[in-house]
Amino acid sequence: MKQTKIIAGHFLKIVIRSRAMTIVFLAWLLLVAYAAITGYETYTAQQQMRINFQQQARQSWEANPDKHPHRMAHFGTFAFRQKHPLSMFDYGMESYTGNAVYLEAHKQNTVNFSEAGFSTGLLRFGEISLAMLVQIVLPLVLFFLGFNAIAQQKENGTLKVLLSQGAGFRSIIWGNSVGLFTLALIFLLPVVLVLLVQLALQSTLPAGGAVWARTIGLLFGCLCFLWLVSVVAICVSALSANSRSALLSLLGIWLLMSIVLPKTVQAIGSALHPAPGKIEFDTAVEKDILQIGDSHNPNDPHFKRLKDSVLKAHHADSVQQLPFNYSGFQMREGERMSAEVYNQRLQQLYDVYERQNDVSNYCSLIDPVIGIKNMSMALAGTDFIAYRRFQDQAEDYRYQLAQTMNELQMKYISNSKPKDDHPHMIGKEHWAEFADFTHTFEPVSVTVKAAWLAFTATLLWFLLSFILIRFTAVKAKAL
Amino acid sequence: MYRLAFKNFIRSRSVVIALVLFLFVGLVSIVIGKQFLEKQQVSVEAVTRLQQEQIERNVQHIPDQFGLLLYYLRFAYINQPDPTAALAVGQQDVNSSIQYLNIRGLEGQRYDTGLYNPYNQLTGNLDLSFVVLFLFPLLIIAFNFNVLSQESEQGTWSLVRVQENRPLRFILQKLSIRLMVVLGLFFVLLLLAVIIIGLPLNERLLAFASTGILYILFWTALSFLVIVLRRSSSISALMLLSAWVLLCLLLPAMVNNYITARYPVKEAYSTFIKQRDGYHTKWDTNEDSTMNAFFKHYPQFREYVWNSPKFNYMWYYAMQQLGDDESAAEGRAMRDKLLARQASAANAALFFPTMQAQLQFTAIAGTDLDRHLAYLDSTGVFHEQKKLHFYPKIFGDSAVVNEDWSKHVPQFFTAKTPVNWGDMVTPFILFTLLLGVGGAVIFHRNGTR
Repeated sequence: MKQTKIIAGHFLKIVIRSRAMTIVFLAWLLLVAYAAITGYETYTAQQQMRINFQQQARQSWEANPDKHPHRMAHFGTFAFRQKHPLSMFDYGMESYTGNAVYLEAHKQNTVNFSEAGFSTGLLRFGEISLAMLVQIVLPLVLFFLGFNAIAQQKENGTLKVLLSQGAGFRSIIWGNSVGLFTLALIFLLPVVLVLLVQLALQSTLPAGGAVWARTIGLLFGCLCFLWLVSVVAICVSALSANSRSALLSLLGIWLLMSIVLPKTVQAIGSALHPAPGKIEFDTAVEKDILQIGDSHNPNDPHFKRLKDSVLKAHHADSVQQLPFNYSGFQMREGERMSAEVYNQRLQQLYDVYERQNDVSNYCSLIDPVIGIKNMSMALAGTDFIAYRRFQDQAEDYRYQLAQTMNELQMKYISNSKPKDDHPHMIGKEHWAEFADFTHTFEPVSVTVKAAWLAFTATLLWFLLSFILIRFTAVKAKAL
Repeated sequence: MYRLAFKNFIRSRSVVIALVLFLFVGLVSIVIGKQFLEKQQVSVEAVTRLQQEQIERNVQHIPDQFGLLLYYLRFAYINQPDPTAALAVGQQDVNSSIQYLNIRGLEGQRYDTGLYNPYNQLTGNLDLSFVVLFLFPLLIIAFNFNVLSQESEQGTWSLVRVQENRPLRFILQKLSIRLMVVLGLFFVLLLLAVIIIGLPLNERLLAFASTGILYILFWTALSFLVIVLRRSSSISALMLLSAWVLLCLLLPAMVNNYITARYPVKEAYSTFIKQRDGYHTKWDTNEDSTMNAFFKHYPQFREYVWNSPKFNYMWYYAMQQLGDDESAAEGRAMRDKLLARQASAANAALFFPTMQAQLQFTAIAGTDLDRHLAYLDSTGVFHEQKKLHFYPKIFGDSAVVNEDWSKHVPQFFTAKTPVNWGDMVTPFILFTLLLGVGGAVIFHRNGTR
């Protein structure tokens, strides 16, 4: 224990004194500042913009005069996706998901206006976020700072001296790992600080956003990951014949884990589970809907049967005698059926996406970078599950809107044809009564459950690091 | 001596392993590109079928009312990617390349996206342009970083100095061997792409190849500059890798962050809301004012009767048109914003060859933002043509049977995007020359230590 401490202190002293460390750390601070400022700018500007537009859409909804409720069903409204405050830390897939959707009766629209759709080809290089710095750049920095920790001692013969003085390989590896991890903490500190400043600058944090619980989770994830990176750097250094080959191995590992594997396994996932494009999807939905019945077609057999049974149940000969508006009733039924079909198809599509993503998910067991990335996106509320929640909420709201308007029609609109050219209408107070769309974030428990694999993988890698130390201590040679 | 050095290099085990690995990754990227093209083709065929079926079914259902029929009918306008898109998928997996539109308001439908798995987009495509852009520099670095330092470290440098009276030539010779191997690998991959994807041998392919060659030359020149600084092998490697991290990872991403924060596209959302309000509020406004506004846009339709006793489709399509008209300013502002983004990216790229290569690859393949904006513009023209074709028939209550529906097949967008050779090659050549000359000067100043 004492030996470990001495070795760690020694490692730290050497690195911190070196000029390279000063340059790298200054560059790091600049990067962190840049990521923090642009992340903050983007978050606040986008969030403000979306809140404003949500209000604007609402105002024009409420400003509608008295009219037929079905007109309001078609007037529709918009749902804007809110950003989670932690998206300042990890943009996740937010740049690739749409931000706004038009909600109307009979039709499920796509969520439009993703940042990617607006972007020049440069987005392909990725984005600088605090998460990207910690998960991609910091490991590289640690590899640079740690590659010759033991390998160099091997080269200049001091390792033999150290070993002969009674320091075991285990405490040498432990000591250097702790030293490098301490460096990692020095690098992580500004990131944590700016994140706290970013969050503190928010006038309000969303209720149900569980910002602090998620932040703590993120911190733990980062610590596990950085410990693993430190251990890998030191163990590779101990196992390599010289510092050059240690550096090359570490760079190879970094390139494979951070760049090549994540891309490749996702490509494998989408090749294994091909998903239909929009046209194929729409064709399938249309086919299903035509099969079950078309509420706009007066001769449709399903709706003819429905009408007959409704008339029979109410002992009526014609729809005029029904106590409610029949066409509202028919549209309610049509909406229910078409929404059911659409959502079923959408569910199938998302199942395909999830199978594609599962390939990556399971690969977090061979690539810890994928694990920490997925975990971090999940906690920052910027992963696929978070996006689906927005879509589900928007669709739910759309359905409620359409059905509420249909019910208003059933209740207040007469079955008889309007006299003197004035269409039937109801009071505008009904529009204000129907509440606005609100996008809420899922509880942390749901997040953890959905991303359990990423959490487990990160934890497993953390545990594995101790096995790696043991293994290296046995295997490593002094020469 | 040259041939001997070449053989010596190519026979090294690590070089062979690296080449095999790159060949394999390159091959995978080509197959991924081919799959991308095939998927696009499947969608094109699907929409062609769908359009025909929908026309047939609806014409049968609604044989008497042009106005109602055109409420349902949709027409496809396709941005068919060039085969070279398989080499540089760029933005084409994000931007929808099929617009399937009805003749109602355009603004409400032209920005509809496809259905995509965002995780796929996040990781991005492993296409050949990625391999060249990100991975080739690493190969060049690995081949070159110790060309000179190794000689010093092994003590052979003094030997060389004695034998060779122009040591610069010796270094250039060693570098050129490595350059030829890298270029050879690039050509083999291009050849494989031509065979596997079936690329036509045309100007675009030549432009793609030229950009690739110039990009490889740039990295070789950068390696040259670093090695003549005469640092140790590991310092040279560190410097080159830092350059890679900076040029391929950090700087382009920083520029992207800057552009995103500098130009937020709020006009997209206001277009969205304005279009809805522009159309829907017309149900509650005076019909005369709606029609007057419509006739102001289309004076040629003034003579049609619009105030008939039954529901009038002329009024309905006029309302739709006003949704577009009232959101037109926002739509233009959004387009201008995107052009501004594109311009600042292009400007920044002049100083960073990696960004230049990325933008050029996608420009050549027609998968960049410029091409997408041109496609969106052209979609407006397509939509206008369809409207002008059908408006007189709707307004004049023509007979549906007289329409030749076989004419209404999907149409293709043809881009006029010539390869701009000057803009494409100049930055690379300047940078390469600068680095090369700088390297030679440093080498001579340092003397032949």
